[in-house]
Amino acid sequence: MVTAYLLLAPATILLLGVLAYPVGWEAWISLTDLSPLNVRGPRFVGLQNYRAMLAEPFFWRAVAATAVYFAVTTAAKLALGLAMALLLLRPSRLRPLVFLAVFLPWAYPGGVTVVAWYWMLNPPLITSYSVLAGHIKYAVDGLLGGGAWAFLSVALFNVWRGGSFTAVFLLAGLNAIPAELFEYAALETRTAWQRLRHVTLPLLRPFLALAVFLSFTTAFADLANVWMLTGGRVIFPVIGTYAYWLGIRNGAIGEAAAWSLSLVPLLAAALVGLFRWFDPREERTA
Amino acid sequence: MRPRRARWRHRLLLALVTLYSLFPIYFITVQSLKTPQEDVFGNPLWIAAPTFENYTELFEEGQVRARGFVVLPRVPFLLWVANSALVLAGTLAVTLACAVLAAYALGRLQPPGWRWWRRLLFATYVVPHTILFIPIYQVVLRLGLDDTPSALVLIYSAMALPFCVWVLSAYYRHLPREIEESALVEGASRAVAFYRIVLPMSQPVLIAAGIFALGTIASDFMIASVFLLSEHNQTIPAGLATMEVALDELLAVAGINLMAIPVVLLCAVFARGYVRGLTAAMIEGA
Repeated sequence: MVTAYLLLAPATILLLGVLAYPVGWEAWISLTDLSPLNVRGPRFVGLQNYRAMLAEPFFWRAVAATAVYFAVTTAAKLALGLAMALLLLRPSRLRPLVFLAVFLPWAYPGGVTVVAWYWMLNPPLITSYSVLAGHIKYAVDGLLGGGAWAFLSVALFNVWRGGSFTAVFLLAGLNAIPAELFEYAALETRTAWQRLRHVTLPLLRPFLALAVFLSFTTAFADLANVWMLTGGRVIFPVIGTYAYWLGIRNGAIGEAAAWSLSLVPLLAAALVGLFRWFDPREERTA
Repeated sequence: MRPRRARWRHRLLLALVTLYSLFPIYFITVQSLKTPQEDVFGNPLWIAAPTFENYTELFEEGQVRARGFVVLPRVPFLLWVANSALVLAGTLAVTLACAVLAAYALGRLQPPGWRWWRRLLFATYVVPHTILFIPIYQVVLRLGLDDTPSALVLIYSAMALPFCVWVLSAYYRHLPREIEESALVEGASRAVAFYRIVLPMSQPVLIAAGIFALGTIASDFMIASVFLLSEHNQTIPAGLATMEVALDELLAVAGINLMAIPVVLLCAVFARGYVRGLTAAMIEGA
């Protein structure tokens, strides 16, 4: 038993140091008014930052935007990923090549590519397609409000890259399902749609849940990357980037901490739900 | 008649998926191969006179350069490449070492409470690291790692670790115990049995974990640019962040593409192994 805990030590210490301590610090700071503008040092203010946050009408809009962004990009990634995985499951001479093509968006260094993609869709200087890009931008912004096209271009990138990851991941999941189950299903069901709904999707459920889980972090990271590279000029109406703006531009670090942590209960709730699907208590026999 | 139509439909879908996966990369690459004149007056989807100006420019000596009518500072790209390779190698070593030890403990030795320990380690994946950089910076400062590539190794390892531990421990959990026990009966110690038998057997899963870690590193941009300040310590994404990318995006795209070549090659070589490894880990439920 001692050996087991010893073996767990490096991973646990790393995560405690780089993750648990920072989260704890953030939680503590969210209860103070820490700011580089306060010369007297931080003061304990209780739940004041949270109360101010909940009273802010922008907060609820940001929560809604974040939730919609997560939901829409995740649904799109799952749908696209599943479609591509099912397509790649069928044997074909072209399959190895198409597989590599599908793998490529994820393999391409996403952190910097999202930034290039962002500037491509929002060209800052005159290029050959500026007029077209401008037309699209004003059409989308006019329909959905200012900044919508900037937001949409990052969301598109996230779906493009995340869909590729999901496709490869679900393909691995489909491979893990015994082929006899599909053969049996082909005899028992009449249409491909029935087969998908009653056989493939239930069997894939743990993998779909894992894919949702993995989708959350990249959905957030892509927005953060673009925010950073535009020097904070593009403020997306979501929780995370507004928190940076508060903390870095306004120096209200305490308040920014409260904003940053406001998503943790939502993520934790999602996590508890997803664990039931991809890590069931009873030993499964497959 | 019908099977033939179905085959063509399948091929058409494969072609569509390939086009969709490659288009963004094609698009940014086409722009990066243009001269300043063609960038403004040419066709957005095509190049008449390709030039590698943007690519060779990254390796030029000197302080400043001119592109069109804009004068811009030069960058030490080769140094960034070396730093990126260092960070990649360090992260892979730390992540895989910590993950294998922890996964073996959780999947095979199963100390009391292992199930919750495993879930807890995995749950840390969902906390967005990008909201935590003030406290993470404190940890990095305390360790004396500020402005060194080692700081990135630490953070990236913590980011990739949860998933790697999850996948590897799922694999070790379902690996038949007899495989090891026969070696133990022969008189080998647990450590030797692990090193000689279990570790080589888990090679596909290790490849999957390594490719995942690679993807995690490649998708970051924000952390690199926050933690690496001096030009000679920066990785490629951190360096690109210091450029005025809005004005110089084509040079940035050239940098991204150059960075992508080794990453994509690595992924292409291990792509099959990646799917095989994930499948091996998932074969009995995620």
